[in-house]
Amino acid sequence: MNHPPQPLLEASDICIAYGGHQVVHDVSLAVAPGEVISLIGPSGAGKSSFLRSINWLEPPCSGTLTFDGSTFRGLRDGGVSKRQLQGLRRSIGMVFQQFNLFPHLSALENVVLAQVHALGRSKAEARERALQELHHVGLGEVTDKLPSKCSGGQQQRIAIARALALDPQVMLFDEPTSALDPEYAMDVLVTMRRLADEGMTMLVVTHEMHFAAEVADRVVFMAEGRVVEEGPAAALIRDPQHERTQKFLAAVKGR
Amino acid sequence: MTVMEHLQALAGGIGTTVTLTLAAFGVGAVAGFPLALARRSSQWWLRLPALAVIEVLRAIPPLVWLFIVFYVIGADFPLMTPFQAAVAGLGLIAAAYLAEIYRAGLDAVPDGQWEAASATGIGTLTTYRKVVLPQAALIVVPPAATYLIALLKDSAVASVVGTTDITFLAFQEARVTLEGFEVFVIAAALYLALSAPVALVARTADRLISRRLGL
Ligand SMILES: Nc1ncnc2c1ncn2[C@@H]1O[C@H](COP(=O)(O)OP(=O)(O)O)[C@@H](O)[C@H]1O
Ligand SMILES: [Mg+2]
Repeated sequence: MNHPPQPLLEASDICIAYGGHQVVHDVSLAVAPGEVISLIGPSGAGKSSFLRSINWLEPPCSGTLTFDGSTFRGLRDGGVSKRQLQGLRRSIGMVFQQFNLFPHLSALENVVLAQVHALGRSKAEARERALQELHHVGLGEVTDKLPSKCSGGQQQRIAIARALALDPQVMLFDEPTSALDPEYAMDVLVTMRRLADEGMTMLVVTHEMHFAAEVADRVVFMAEGRVVEEGPAAALIRDPQHERTQKFLAAVKGR
Repeated sequence: MTVMEHLQALAGGIGTTVTLTLAAFGVGAVAGFPLALARRSSQWWLRLPALAVIEVLRAIPPLVWLFIVFYVIGADFPLMTPFQAAVAGLGLIAAAYLAEIYRAGLDAVPDGQWEAASATGIGTLTTYRKVVLPQAALIVVPPAATYLIALLKDSAVASVVGTTDITFLAFQEARVTLEGFEVFVIAAALYLALSAPVALVARTADRLISRRLGL
């Protein structure tokens, strides 16, 4: 008999509110080790908010997150300590739409910083690892450049290397290619696909339906703060069941 | 009297003006930092007092404030020299102005920098030291340099409490020689000469910022 694998990460009934206005309603999601999940949906659906609640960048007002044997409770249910949080964040990598590289540091230093100050690696060890990760994302040649001297595609790959250098168990991507020209977006998508092939557990908010269909195992469609439909990636995108999903996909594909 | 003779009479004040300005700026640069942090705090009991201190210090004319420091506070510290009183008085005003400059610099660092730092699990202190302050420091240099020039000019008020700076000596020289116009033009030229290198620093920093931070 085949048991479903124990989830690596499980979000249950996550609610998120901004100043009393609730934008995410009871969203639950279990992520198996090595699984790649795409979160899709119209702008304002709450995809970013939900994604950011997984590393507590946006603390949920209620709901729980179970990760690596620890349970994290939303603000109303007790909240979490600073120490717990840092542990969670060190195990979860995040890649932002706007890259958010440290502009005063070179590509290499961007990848070194948290290795030294979050994981306590020696400078030499961190440098070694940073070079390795930058090569891994195809950026052996820009190590000493400032981010402002790199293309958008290079900057986003530096950001991916920065997260990978911390040995994350899960990687979160929030529209990683939305700020990029198509040619540069392709470099980033190729990097992400390789990461998926290597077995990384990934949650990806994206408007790239090809990526979702081909790389993701599962697609979750959100609208108005709720999960409307989810299922195997290729099937859901080819043949959505809900009208809301159908309308969204038709609009996206029509572009 | 020749220009050279006037200049010689005022030259003795250059050192005082420069030390007074730099000392007051130093006091302000140090004291302004906790003031800026308090001003940005999410705790009202830190934020509101800091706001009050900053607004009061910026609202009182430096001349009036210096008299207050010299006479009121000076009465409790009778050994305070005019120079020390001027450093304390101008230093506190500088703290208020620099706190606002620091605050603007800290605010100018995008939220995304904080997010990226906390997403990697580095602590608040390290985020300040390694991510936020290095960027804010660059942003702060041009307005801080501009303020240093303003402070250099404001330092002239210290002459009224008896600090023997350029302006004090200019008053004396004008009274003795009755050549007020010449004397004060020379004094103006001295202030101008002192502020020029600071202005240059501000320009250079501006260029550096756009190169380094891409702002
Ligand atoms: N920091 C914030 N403050 C207030 N409202 C926010 C904030 N971030 C997002 N929102 C609101 O929450 C809703 C969901 O936003 P978001 O999670 O960014 O959706 P998506 O990523 O799907 O576009 C939107 O209505 C948005 O305006
Ligand atoms: Mg979003």
